[in-house]
Amino acid sequence: MPPRSRRTRVRARIAGLLARLGVRTPSCLFALLLACASCEASPQPAPHPQPAVSLEYAVKATYLYKLAPFVNWPPATFESPQQPFRICVAGDASFDAYLQQAVAGRSLGTHPFEVHRLETLTPDSQCQIVFISRLASQTVQEALEAVDGKPVLTVVDSTEPHADGGIVKFVIDRGRVRFVIDTGAAARNHITISSKLLNLALAVREAS
Amino acid sequence: MRCPQPTPQGSVRTSAGKRVLARGAVTMTLLALSTRAMCLVAQPTDLGSLTLEDLGKVVVSSVTKNPEPLSKAPAAVYVISHDDIMRSGARNLPDILRLAPNLEVFQTSPGNYHITARGFSGNNVAQNFPNKLLVMIDGRSVYSPIFSGMYWDDQFVLPENIQRIEVISGPGGALWGANAVNGVINIITRNSAESDGGLLAVRVGNLESSAAVQYGGKLGKHAHYRVYARHVRRHELDDANGRPARNGWNSPQVGFRVDVQSSPDDTVMVQGDLHDGRTDQPGGSDARNTEADVLARWQHTISDTSGLQLQAYYDHVHRRDSNDGGSGFALDTLDLELQHSLAVGDRQQLLWGLGDRIYRYDITPRIAEASSLLWDPARNTQNLANAFVQDQVAINDETELTLGLKAEDDPYSGVSLMPNLRLSWQPGRSTMLWAAASRAVRTPTPFDEDVIEKLGTAVFLTGNPSFKREKLTAYEAGWRGQVATRATVSVSLYYNVYDDLRTIELSPTGLPLIWGNGMEGRTYGVEAWGSSAISDWWQLGAGFDAQRQHLGFKPGASGLLGVAQAGDDPQYQGFIRSMMNLSDSWTLYADLRGIDALPDPKVPGYVELDLRLGWLVNDKLELSLSGSNLLHAWHQEYPDGNRISRGVWLDARLNF
Repeated sequence: MPPRSRRTRVRARIAGLLARLGVRTPSCLFALLLACASCEASPQPAPHPQPAVSLEYAVKATYLYKLAPFVNWPPATFESPQQPFRICVAGDASFDAYLQQAVAGRSLGTHPFEVHRLETLTPDSQCQIVFISRLASQTVQEALEAVDGKPVLTVVDSTEPHADGGIVKFVIDRGRVRFVIDTGAAARNHITISSKLLNLALAVREAS
Repeated sequence: MRCPQPTPQGSVRTSAGKRVLARGAVTMTLLALSTRAMCLVAQPTDLGSLTLEDLGKVVVSSVTKNPEPLSKAPAAVYVISHDDIMRSGARNLPDILRLAPNLEVFQTSPGNYHITARGFSGNNVAQNFPNKLLVMIDGRSVYSPIFSGMYWDDQFVLPENIQRIEVISGPGGALWGANAVNGVINIITRNSAESDGGLLAVRVGNLESSAAVQYGGKLGKHAHYRVYARHVRRHELDDANGRPARNGWNSPQVGFRVDVQSSPDDTVMVQGDLHDGRTDQPGGSDARNTEADVLARWQHTISDTSGLQLQAYYDHVHRRDSNDGGSGFALDTLDLELQHSLAVGDRQQLLWGLGDRIYRYDITPRIAEASSLLWDPARNTQNLANAFVQDQVAINDETELTLGLKAEDDPYSGVSLMPNLRLSWQPGRSTMLWAAASRAVRTPTPFDEDVIEKLGTAVFLTGNPSFKREKLTAYEAGWRGQVATRATVSVSLYYNVYDDLRTIELSPTGLPLIWGNGMEGRTYGVEAWGSSAISDWWQLGAGFDAQRQHLGFKPGASGLLGVAQAGDDPQYQGFIRSMMNLSDSWTLYADLRGIDALPDPKVPGYVELDLRLGWLVNDKLELSLSGSNLLHAWHQEYPDGNRISRGVWLDARLNF
């Protein structure tokens, strides 16, 4: 055990280093970033950063409703022609905002798109499409099991850990959003997928 | 990439289960600031008017997607991302490591490099090699326990498979394995679920030709795999005097990785590699370096705040030189490790672990008329055990204290204790100050204790059975910040106090010489780097290091070969890097680096330029033209090292 005085000296030395650092760093930093024209902007984060600018999210949101015309749900899915087409977002609240924006005023035939955000995916969620991402209360597998055998097009995000088993999986391929389709998983949920969509997929998994 | 929510503790979800993932996971816990920056760069267009087909052509990742680490780790950490590696076109580990501003990389021959952090690059005359670095590939320690140094020609990872490389300058802290004195290089490869499908990568060039093929897919419902094969041929370089060195190098390698999600709470990973390298030699047969490894890791999530990891690996290295009487060595390593992470109350995260490494070596001595290199014993089995505990205490919302203690039991010097204390203060979301004090040791090796060198028949130098640990006490402080939505900066300062560094001493009778611990001293320096997105399609980065060494001999030391034997390090080095997306399908990468002269032995400094132009022909095929060291016909990087000449190559990468 070193004598107390020495410990105090070490502490003082660290404190001294910190103090010097605080004074010196701004000049170092701006010297480093000579060419940076936008540096004068203050680093103050907005209280609620607007997620509405992520292109990746916007593209995924657009995909979600554009997939719908190429997917066939069982005939009994809609009870009336005016019944809304439900796209659910299980988990990610910021994605919900993108999707709301993307589908605003749009419909599939006579069924207007409607977005629902869920904290937990349950068998009676009544979604035609569900996008599973950043679920706090369930694992991806638990969410998928909840709607297993139900006529729901499950979409998972490959940025999610263990994102397997969904019908559609978004993947980033060389900076572009693409998707992989599992027709076996689709069949289990009584959904068929048109060949046009299968052709656009990066990969198609047959029933295993 | 997800846009994180504005909760200040964005990493809360990153539970203990994940913290235990890898020792390097420290930097993974919070990239919240940089990911938020990424979310601000893209410009939404009217996507609704696009067809499904066109949606798949929208480029969503811009050059600004370079995850400059603004992690909470209170250490000088630089993360080389997958994207950085792909853009640079570098295809072997040492060249990839040049991307880290806090490493010194010296190429000495087509296949061999010296790499160090914060000085101590070694000295050939004093038989001193960079020996204070821990290098790990997916948790497998790859430095050689025979002399604590690296054989870089034995390490290869397919660049497409690298998820990220964490480069930590300075003692890594309690949770790192042995030899983390001046730095840690932690190479983490991608989960095999991320390498589905086929890959063919071919390179032709004046200095190097290589080809790699990989295929990955699913094994049943819960497992993914990949297998790869690769061959590289690096052509000979000129030696320091400009004559052909006849040291061309070939290295075929195969390997695999399997990841199994055996239950929602359990993952198992198994991987293995095998290679057989051959280096041409003037007037004789090749020198061979063979290596085989297999590693298995089980990770179990106990609860949201607690996780367990168990890992085992076996590694076999066989290096031999039939030109030199068949001298060389075989080394077998078996390593077992257990880590457990758990939350204690609301404010503390505890991580503890145990590890044991058994290694057996069998050294074939070099016996030659002029000089011989022998070992006593030449064959041995040794055990290196360690235990560590680390407690991260959130003092308040802004301040975190990390206390760590590692105990290591090595076969020569017994138990060493390595405490460290780290403090981080995050006054806002966009800036962090940290400070650390730590102790680390390089424990004695067979080369320090058991070596016998002869000149003719006379014993010239011997190992020292009472060789002591080389000791470091390091004081560090750093600042990391986001200075604008698109610019990040990191500055680290260090003051290192060394004791008992290895020297050459006289025995009581003069000869033979004997290894001793006669040097001490201090080094200090600054490491700074930053990056800034000039626009959505252009990112600039820069890095800079400065260091000073004040080493001296202790009373009674011989002073033979002077303090230059510790290392021959540049006082300054730096780079400026530019990454551009010229269009949806064209990218341009440029890297201008400058390295100050090496003082003793003198090697001139140099400034060199690397360029890469990439063309994404279609979804499947990328072609690129690269040049390295374009400004001069050649330059030298290390005393007696080969002349490193200008390189030009053409790469093709096909996904199928």
